[in-house]
Amino acid sequence: MIQMNHVSKTYPNQASALSDITLEISSGEFVFIAGPNGSGKTTLLRILFGAERPSSGEVVVNGMTITERGFNKVYSLRRTMGIVFQDVKLLKDRTVSENILFALEVTGRSRKKAKNSVSEILSRVGLQEREGDSILSLSAGEQQRVAIARALINDPLLLLADEPTGNLDAQMTMDVMGIFTGLHLKGTTIVFATRDTDLIQGYPYRIIYLSEGRRVDVTKDQEVSAGE
Amino acid sequence: MISFLQYVIRRTFQNIRRNLFPNLTTIGIIGISLLIFSTFALISFNLTSFLKIWEDKIEVIAYLKKGTPLREVEGLLKKSRQIEGVEGVTYVSPFDAMAFLESRLGKQKNLLQGIQTVVLPPSFEIQLKKEYRNSIRIKEVVSQLKQFPEFEEIQYGQEWVETFSALVHILRLTQWILGGLFLGGIIFIISNIFRLTISSRQEEVEIMQLVGASPAFVRVPFYVEGLIQGLLGGGLAIFFLYLLHKIFFLQIPLSIQTWLAGIPIHFLPPGTVLWVLIGGMVLGFFGSFVASMKLLRYSE
Repeated sequence: MIQMNHVSKTYPNQASALSDITLEISSGEFVFIAGPNGSGKTTLLRILFGAERPSSGEVVVNGMTITERGFNKVYSLRRTMGIVFQDVKLLKDRTVSENILFALEVTGRSRKKAKNSVSEILSRVGLQEREGDSILSLSAGEQQRVAIARALINDPLLLLADEPTGNLDAQMTMDVMGIFTGLHLKGTTIVFATRDTDLIQGYPYRIIYLSEGRRVDVTKDQEVSAGE
Repeated sequence: MISFLQYVIRRTFQNIRRNLFPNLTTIGIIGISLLIFSTFALISFNLTSFLKIWEDKIEVIAYLKKGTPLREVEGLLKKSRQIEGVEGVTYVSPFDAMAFLESRLGKQKNLLQGIQTVVLPPSFEIQLKKEYRNSIRIKEVVSQLKQFPEFEEIQYGQEWVETFSALVHILRLTQWILGGLFLGGIIFIISNIFRLTISSRQEEVEIMQLVGASPAFVRVPFYVEGLIQGLLGGGLAIFFLYLLHKIFFLQIPLSIQTWLAGIPIHFLPPGTVLWVLIGGMVLGFFGSFVASMKLLRYSE
């Protein structure tokens, strides 16, 4: 599902964000991308969803190849995946359903079909009762659930999450992780970037560590310290 | 296709409604820019049509030698009419000339008392074809008339004609140069305003791009919004120009109004009004297009 071959990313100011990363994530896997701030987690995810081009190397995501020349149809790549961020990127002046409806409409769904889909998508994250509520009236955890619901509009086989629990308290984090594990059990591939070492210890999933833009091999005993 | 059109229309009007203030600002600035431009066009249009009236009055007067027999006048009339560029020739006898002078002097015609009609020379008033009513081509006609020995003097207000032609030329040149420079400035201002309005919706655009909206779904509503803003801006400019045109007539002193009575001051012709509206739409579209090129990119 995802293959990165010797991928590096250097910015015009010569700052290196990623250096010679090679990895493979199979369909149906749940993988944590772990590492401290500035380790390159976000850059790696941004390359995976086509927001940035690698400076060298090759990335294959859902059968589409991204190289340093970029990728022409970024939008078709993004329709094969869902993306969730720490800052939920919701339209704060609209309701829960309007946020989902907006995403459905701009991807070409007819308004009627889109309206029917909203309730179904919200029920998958347990927010069917809050359809008409303003985003501002929701808790941080609920807002993140709306963001996850929006990421599900294309029925993605791949879900990329960049620190989705970074702003949440322990209970909300558990709720959100519950949704992610539920989606994983239904077959969705999940790439979850986090710096929270306590969180990753609680799940039996593969962990890819990054440090200063490089992939580092860490034994189970070293995991906690490497992630800090 | 139909659902895409429905989407574009709905989204465009949603954008306008949700971002009313930036939209009104953009419409206002397009309106002001086009108002300045169309005011310039209106002045230029009226000056050109005013000068055209003068242009129509350009003619050559050829004075005959005193004592030229009438039978020779007949032949000379024929020959003059055959000259290339001559539209018509009218013979003005000394009596006609005196009658003309009297009519021009009106109540002061007694000034002419004691002047013998015979002192006024007979003349030909030679009307020129339109393409000959300029300083260069009028000379072609005059040089042919000079070959007839029966003419004592030929007048065509050479200096006036040359000044007039130069004035028309400068005016038209200025219109295009200033118009071009002004247009460049307007496009620059408008594209920057669009950049600001699109930036204010960057969050929305980012979400659209994240969920996989195609470039057409992201950009076309912005282009249509630009077209609508341009059309409304153009309409606003025409409305205020019309008001200014009316106010101009109400505010000018009576003495100038009387003087202007003979000179028609027109509003812009419908064709030009249409071009201002189309121009507004093109500006709106171009502004949103230029602004969106950088801001609506999917990747860095």
